[in-house]
Amino acid sequence: MSNGFYEFFCPVKVVAGDAALEHIPFELGNLGSKKPLLVTDKGVRGAGLIEPVVAACEAGGVEVPLIFDDVPPDSSVEVVREIAQLYLNEQCDALIAVGGGSVIDTCKGANILVSEGGLDLSRFSGAGILKKPLKPFLVVPTTSGTGSEVTAVAVIADRAKGVKLPFSSGYLLPNAAILDPRMTLTLPPHITAATAMDAMTHAIEAYTCLARNPLSEAYAAAAVKKIAVNLPKVLEDGSDRQARLELAQASTMAGIAFSNSMVGLVHALGHALGAVCHIPHGVCMNLFLPYVLEYNLEKGTIREALGELLLPLAGAEVYAATPADSRAEKTVEVIRTLRDELYTACKLPRTLRETGKVEKAQLTRIADVALDDGSIIFNPAEASLEEVQALLERAW
Amino acid sequence: MIKKQQYAVQYAAKRAYVTTMMEVVGRALAALTREDPVARETIERLPEGFRFAMTVMPDGPGLMLRKNAQGVFVYEGAPRPGQKAELTILIKHIEHAFRMLTFQESTAQAFANDRMLVDGEIGYAVRLVRALNRLESIILPKLIAERAVKEVDDLPLTEKIQAATRVYGGVLKSLVDTGIKELSRQVRAA
Ligand SMILES: [Fe+2]
Repeated sequence: MSNGFYEFFCPVKVVAGDAALEHIPFELGNLGSKKPLLVTDKGVRGAGLIEPVVAACEAGGVEVPLIFDDVPPDSSVEVVREIAQLYLNEQCDALIAVGGGSVIDTCKGANILVSEGGLDLSRFSGAGILKKPLKPFLVVPTTSGTGSEVTAVAVIADRAKGVKLPFSSGYLLPNAAILDPRMTLTLPPHITAATAMDAMTHAIEAYTCLARNPLSEAYAAAAVKKIAVNLPKVLEDGSDRQARLELAQASTMAGIAFSNSMVGLVHALGHALGAVCHIPHGVCMNLFLPYVLEYNLEKGTIREALGELLLPLAGAEVYAATPADSRAEKTVEVIRTLRDELYTACKLPRTLRETGKVEKAQLTRIADVALDDGSIIFNPAEASLEEVQALLERAW
Repeated sequence: MIKKQQYAVQYAAKRAYVTTMMEVVGRALAALTREDPVARETIERLPEGFRFAMTVMPDGPGLMLRKNAQGVFVYEGAPRPGQKAELTILIKHIEHAFRMLTFQESTAQAFANDRMLVDGEIGYAVRLVRALNRLESIILPKLIAERAVKEVDDLPLTEKIQAATRVYGGVLKSLVDTGIKELSRQVRAA
């Protein structure tokens, strides 16, 4: 069942497939840019992923004279400022982010500064502060999970003040997302699996939470199918370009879905576990997903939607062979089986204990933090502290 | 066909209802934090002096609450022009405020439906939404409450009635009833 009202917004041009990188010069030309600043991190550069981007640009008549490759794993206002200054000093006219969530968020922040002027990013923190379009901005994702290339938000740490600044505006969205199979080809199995399960969670929460809507549902269901089919293929053969591209597209589609219908308790718990125990986001998603679905199911809030997801997740045969009233449970079962496979393939933990990084004494703190997380608003069941604690016990 | 003027009359009626309800909810929320330990715990983490506002765009009506040294909310009336709160829930239109305050759409669902914006820290907003849910579950007749909040708190009925009388339950119930009657009258008229 969908709500009586919804909004849906995604103005990002998706440029996906073989030789997608070679479309960058044309896209920059469309945006009137001749001198882009490329932003990335040391890991991406070290993996040799910058060369094909720069080569594609130069062969297409666009010089890339500047590369900033010093984005840390957690973006910060200082780095954003550094990039903005470089951009202004060198009179650049566009930004290209090549990387994962942190590089993309950092670039969103830098785009605010170079477009709005000044070096104080905190002035623009909050929702709907930006009132006009920013500078031309392209994103080339190098992981398939966060969906940041199609989300209108960024989170950037202000270490001096000890806070994380949230930014939310449609103007943060890039002009185009470039999905090229070359960019994720070398991603190691455990990161491939964790980020794919982040995307899977985006899709499933988008499909089952309070702000679900018909357009998000379509993207979410299609993303679930792509991940279910292609993640095992990629883990079997990391060099399967087609399957890699399918995962990259699924991640973008799941990103479009959840940026228009939000996420729920899996993310609230995942953000909390990430903050308290420093466990990567995708690992947290994989860990909590079945437990939260079971919880929401028990509370009677997601049976129909979860049952529908069995079709894209497990295929027509399994769907048809499962009686309608047990499809929701079957969906959870299929997710659990997938997680077992991921554990066998690359030791992706399924429980808090299996992470080896969580103390039982920390559960109360995790529950506490989760209860303050914005995502919890959109969870279909109203979770109390006691219930969240019980859920954590089950996930132990 | 409804004429433009009829719409204007409806909006004026809704504005009047919302204006009254903003005050009722403001006072009720203040009373709730005085009477109910659960609600008090919900706002425990808000700093002393913290102001919470809920207002309808572009220029009200609205409510303003301040957390005092005793850890309870004090109702401060409607927000004055230009007055800033630590957390403001901005409802985009009087129609959405009317739906929320006749409890046809829960606060969480109103968020999900993009009916409102949050100006301030989202962690605080989560707590305020929870406090509003608590208020609704306690003071509303069960039938209405089930529609308004995701889940009705499982309080024994007697406690509920007791708590309700203490938090202006009677006033609220009659108001909501009037609001819903008004709405159905308008639906029939339309
Ligand atoms: Fe996520």
